[in-house]
Amino acid sequence: MPKTQEKARLLETRRVADDTHRIVLYAPRITATARPGQFVMVRIASEGADPLLNRPFSFHRIHKDDGLFEILFRVVGRGTWLLSQRKEGSSLDVIGPLGNAFPMPEAQEEIVALAAGGIGIAPMVELGYRLADWAREKDSRQVFLFYGARTASELVPLGKLERRGIRASFSTDDGSRGSCGTVVDLMDQSVRESGLLPQRLYACGPLAMQAAVAAWAHEKDVRATMSLESVMACGIGACLGCALPAAHPDDSSRARHVHVCKEGPVFDSRKILWEKMEPTPVRPLTFVCS
Amino acid sequence: MGKDGTHARSAPDLRVQLGPLSLKNPVLTASGTFGYGQEFSDFLDLARLGAVVVKGISLEPRPGNPPPRIAETPAGMLNAIGLENVGVERFVAEKLPYLRKRNATVVVNILGNSEEEYAALAERLEDEEGIAALEVNISCPNVKEGGIAFGTDPRMAARVTEAVRRKTTRPLITKLSPNVTDIALIARAVEDAGTDIISCINTVSGMAVDVFSRRPKLANILGGLSGPAIKPVALRCVYQVVQAVSCPVIGIGGIQTALDALEFLLVGASAVQVGTASLVRPTSAVEILDGLERFLRHQGLASVREYIGTLDTSCRFPLAEETCAGDE
Repeated sequence: MPKTQEKARLLETRRVADDTHRIVLYAPRITATARPGQFVMVRIASEGADPLLNRPFSFHRIHKDDGLFEILFRVVGRGTWLLSQRKEGSSLDVIGPLGNAFPMPEAQEEIVALAAGGIGIAPMVELGYRLADWAREKDSRQVFLFYGARTASELVPLGKLERRGIRASFSTDDGSRGSCGTVVDLMDQSVRESGLLPQRLYACGPLAMQAAVAAWAHEKDVRATMSLESVMACGIGACLGCALPAAHPDDSSRARHVHVCKEGPVFDSRKILWEKMEPTPVRPLTFVCS
Repeated sequence: MGKDGTHARSAPDLRVQLGPLSLKNPVLTASGTFGYGQEFSDFLDLARLGAVVVKGISLEPRPGNPPPRIAETPAGMLNAIGLENVGVERFVAEKLPYLRKRNATVVVNILGNSEEEYAALAERLEDEEGIAALEVNISCPNVKEGGIAFGTDPRMAARVTEAVRRKTTRPLITKLSPNVTDIALIARAVEDAGTDIISCINTVSGMAVDVFSRRPKLANILGGLSGPAIKPVALRCVYQVVQAVSCPVIGIGGIQTALDALEFLLVGASAVQVGTASLVRPTSAVEILDGLERFLRHQGLASVREYIGTLDTSCRFPLAEETCAGDE
């Protein structure tokens, strides 16, 4: 799929949850070949060199017929704050589609689950719609969504996703919505109650949650497909800045890296050396705009 | 000038001659910011570039530094990639044939832990087709061995240059670090050791920390600063090197636009390399090339060579001439 640099028009910007924004971009050339799981690099500065680097965002929704896609992001620093302030009608330089896509379930897989933590819901929604269509093709197919956040006001409304037959359940750290606990607690609870263990898990979220989901999947011998993030400069495999520690198939003591933009952002959980992963620092919101 | 005196309307001549190296234009990519060229083929025609300078190649593949490897800073970025690369054998087998197929002019950036490794790389590449020049990297600040260890000591820099010189008949570029007290000293040393061309600068050593986690932003703690933030430092270094040596110089550092590139040509660089700009905007190098051509037309110049090194440093205020030209 060819990568494109395109001037996208910002058609709509909306705050959809605490510090969480959704923007709709008209970029027909990028949208034409976009697949769920892939991402775009968005230029934040409208002019000049500050902030210098583009920011990566996964496709939240892809509307092929209209030439539009949506991105969903949380304000975690100056770049995302500036993006949240962009006005409707303005244009942004966007490069995409980049990276690999979520693989659809294999022929023998019938029960699949999505696990999302916080802003990790972003790439899961487009995938959720695709899986809803996939599930409708056969009665025995089922799709679960486990979605957790710190508190209820951080949960992003899921639109029509639930009406499409996805079995969604929620968790919050403070119990303000759904069950009180983590996404992994929610997965345990669901398996206990429904008696259905997913054969494949798609996950995206903060590092601690992803690592816990990977461990859960490993223990239960469930195939886990993760969308991961990293600080990125180019997004096209040139700078090699977005390296993550990779599990070496033969020798775990040997250093090896995978690159989020090139081999990812979607990885089989077994390819990652979870114990060597470092969380991306998040700046407390009070200091973001100052 | 054309016979009819209408040179400004015909396409300006962008060709440059850097010692033994002839280039179709003076806009090259900078090593480490352009992958192996293939990464950019969706965005631009590689054959249009003066040259593609590939990611530094070592004898053996290198895994690079642990992440995080990148931190953004005001109008710049710090990196500590640690020279991750596929190694010379995979480069020759997989990357070089693609560049040949795309008719790219290729400069191979080489690096090693010892003089012997540099020499062995030059020897290994000597008979490969489709390489226009070698660029010796003695200036990477992000690895403990090799790299900058050679680039900060004039004697070591000269020894590496000599070792490569003995093994290659190709045009030889030596890439210098700005992280030295006197860049002119290193420049003269590598020129005396037989380099054909000097390129400068590599990244400026720097650091970034996170006040909340109290951690360095790079796993390597220190990194190399690039981007617009370093342009004045780069320009100063290029100016000093041009004054110090007689071999051609390639200017590198913070070039984002054609006007930036022209600043380097003005102080005497015969060509430029576009680095971090390509990471942010993959089409940067060809846009700079187009802008250069527009500028030359605008100025009525038939050739880019008429512009190179034409900086006027004469005294601006005749009344103050004595102090300007003064010896003190």
